[in-house]
Amino acid sequence: MSPTAPVPTLRRSVALVWRSLRSMRTALVLLLLLALAAVAGSLVPQVGVADARIAATFRDHPLRARIFDQLGLFDVYGSWWFTMIYTLLLVSLIACLVPRTRAFVRNLRARPVPARELDAMRHYAELAVGDPPEQALGRARSLLRRRLFRVSGPNGAPTVSADKGLGREGGSLLFHAAFLVLLVGVVLGRGTGFSGQAVIVEGQTWTEAHANYDGTVREGRFFGEDHSGVQVRVEDFRATYRPTGQPRDFVTRATLLDAEGGELERVDIRVNHPAEAEGVKFYQFGYGWAPVIRVEEDGEAIFDGPVVCQQETPPEDVSQLQVPWTCVVKLPSLDPQVGIRFELWPDRRGLLALLETGEAMPMLVEYAPVMTWEAFEGDLRAELVQSVGVLDTSAMRPLDTGVLGAGETVDLRPGLTVGFTDLRQYTVLSVSRDRGLWIVLAAAILILLGLLPALYTSRRKLWVTAEAAGAGTLLKVGGFALQRRSQFEEEFSRLVRDLRRVPEERVGS
Amino acid sequence: MSTETWILLSTGAFSVAFFGYLFGMLAAFHFLAFRRPTVWAVSIAATVLGLAAHLLSIVGRGVAADRIPLGNMYEYSLLLSFLVVLAYLVFVEGLGRVRTVGGFVLGFAVITMAVAVLFLYVGPAPLIPALNSYWRQVHVSSMIVSSSLLALGGVLTILYLVKERRERRRGEPAPIMGGAVSLDDAPPHFEAGADEPPPAAPGARRGLLPRSSTLDRLAYRTIAFGFPIWTFGIITGAIWAESAWGRYWGWDPKETWSFITWTVFAGYLHARATSGWKGRRAAIVALVGFVSLLVTYYAVNLWIVGLHSYAT
Ligand code: HEM
Repeated sequence: MSPTAPVPTLRRSVALVWRSLRSMRTALVLLLLLALAAVAGSLVPQVGVADARIAATFRDHPLRARIFDQLGLFDVYGSWWFTMIYTLLLVSLIACLVPRTRAFVRNLRARPVPARELDAMRHYAELAVGDPPEQALGRARSLLRRRLFRVSGPNGAPTVSADKGLGREGGSLLFHAAFLVLLVGVVLGRGTGFSGQAVIVEGQTWTEAHANYDGTVREGRFFGEDHSGVQVRVEDFRATYRPTGQPRDFVTRATLLDAEGGELERVDIRVNHPAEAEGVKFYQFGYGWAPVIRVEEDGEAIFDGPVVCQQETPPEDVSQLQVPWTCVVKLPSLDPQVGIRFELWPDRRGLLALLETGEAMPMLVEYAPVMTWEAFEGDLRAELVQSVGVLDTSAMRPLDTGVLGAGETVDLRPGLTVGFTDLRQYTVLSVSRDRGLWIVLAAAILILLGLLPALYTSRRKLWVTAEAAGAGTLLKVGGFALQRRSQFEEEFSRLVRDLRRVPEERVGS
Repeated sequence: MSTETWILLSTGAFSVAFFGYLFGMLAAFHFLAFRRPTVWAVSIAATVLGLAAHLLSIVGRGVAADRIPLGNMYEYSLLLSFLVVLAYLVFVEGLGRVRTVGGFVLGFAVITMAVAVLFLYVGPAPLIPALNSYWRQVHVSSMIVSSSLLALGGVLTILYLVKERRERRRGEPAPIMGGAVSLDDAPPHFEAGADEPPPAAPGARRGLLPRSSTLDRLAYRTIAFGFPIWTFGIITGAIWAESAWGRYWGWDPKETWSFITWTVFAGYLHARATSGWKGRRAAIVALVGFVSLLVTYYAVNLWIVGLHSYAT
């Protein structure tokens, strides 16, 4: 390298990068890249949104799934390249905002100085008026003030300088800055918050703590393990339907208690109407049935409580309300161990219709509920990590099957009875905390407030000078607009026309 | 009147509106080709008649369903096409005094309505609980108002691209712009005047369409009008999602695509202020935004599943 060639010092490269980050073109390209990345995110199933479809891709197209996984395509919004795009955009935004704000502040203070002769400007007019220069200029000044121009130059100065439309640049700056604030709010809120699901049976009390989410909780990157300990006691849950089977309302009646058990509030949680306690919000998310099952061995209860049942997703043409609910009871303390699979029909007529016509009836209410059951004995294989709702019968043999109505009891094997003592409902609440919410909302409002002047106003500058001409004055008006020029043309000619018009009282005097 | 009567009224008025626009469209194309002012007047009359029937159809639908008729894709399309035609009459014919683009705009409305009856029709029915929220009403209405404006801008952009190409082919000279402008507060690569038309041939009245600079200005104005409303729509949608599902943003497909559309149109507003991107390139960005709008509106509901999907 010859000693005279410019040495690419670190400083110079930083300056170069900084300059290119400040360019409109970089911002534009980054914006379009962001959109493109989001397109990818909408075409490929995403974690947390379509987990089942991701699993299906891994099963059916393992190679494609592995490639997608490596590229982060299953989690676009958490991928390093998505993060990089928006981080670059943020840096670029700051790089733009700093000089623009500085220039804007300078502009706020400065008075427009005519860059050239007035008659060289895009809009220019000369007009002869009857009053002396002093008065004519004073008139121009007050006319422009009335039109909300910012007028400068002290009274008596030979030139009036005026400008208008600082809201355009100001609004634009506000918009861009608020966008920055919005992202800060999002990252802060998501990062320090959590969200998960609580399954609570009627009559039970659930405590907001990591362990009670059954693994459904997602905690932010900067989460401080500060779960609230708020408790929710569910009084009852009610689902109401229209005669067509379309849901009308889902309501969880509950009492919120603080971590010490002190009553905070009685609430009705329904769709679109969450409840809140100590910054934690509870949303109605789902519901289901929980039969209370009592198992006795030699007259002594070895299991007694509500069992949460789940529903399978039905095929396309079958309503979710026609599908029975399934749940499992495992009895590991027995020898040999026993597991029972239940299929619950909260409305008996659903099962009867299925048996008679081959098609189940939609079950909207509880009506003489009935369960079919299938018992197995052998080894539950509890040493394997298993879901509570799944019974692994690979090491078991069938024991018996049957039907069990509410309030009934059956014998499984000598000395072992199973009773269906009650039917309850459970509610699923979506629980979350987001402390950035207010920042995000405020920023969103500022974005809108900034956007309006940024898009709909225009920056205009205008100068008026006066020369004595005979008894009257020759006024010279020149100016230009940076945007919306065709509109300014009209505004300019209106201004000139009004300058020419001498106010009535002056004419009289 | 019974619900059935209202449904009948709504569908009948829909047909009147549809054929009114269809007729208006044909008349508008006739005017485009032969320039007979009476044909233009007939086109406008048919369009106004169609618009009145269209309004009746929307109201009838609302009465039949006993709620604001913004519950499903059919109803969205009904309002969207109404607003596109209304915006066209007000902005293009009224404020813009441009007479030659009506056929294309009405064509868009006719297609939207045809798709609505053929593929999206459902009877009026009450809403499921998650959809029963004031924020949703505000959200959906602003999305539809802005969609209609952005769609109108999209149609104008396509016409701009067609016309600009023709002007370029003819090699018409760029006009001499009067009085340069001082750029005292511009960042690098920044050119003032995002809403200024790019250089275009002066007095090129010969072609079928208005001058490209006129089309460009009209397109920009409509998009700049629609963009903040789209922004507002996204914000109210987020507020609704917050109250219904406990998260204001979840990257579900509908949310994602409304974000994409927003970003692309933000890109368009930028492009117009970026040197080297004014004119044709910016218009292409707007065209991408238009396509993205259509995907947001149709494809997401019909093919991609998300929390919003029960709105179909
Ligand atoms: C975070 C991503 C960004 C978004 C969503 C965005 C969006 C917008 C929008 C919607 C406008 C039109 C309204 C207005 O004038 O304020 C605009 C204008 C503008 N943006 Fe951005 N922008 C972003 C980043 C940037 C960056 C990084 C720069 C720096 C080069 C920049 C510079 C400008 C300028 C100079 C204008 C004014 C253009 C005019 O006068 O019409 N923006 N932006």
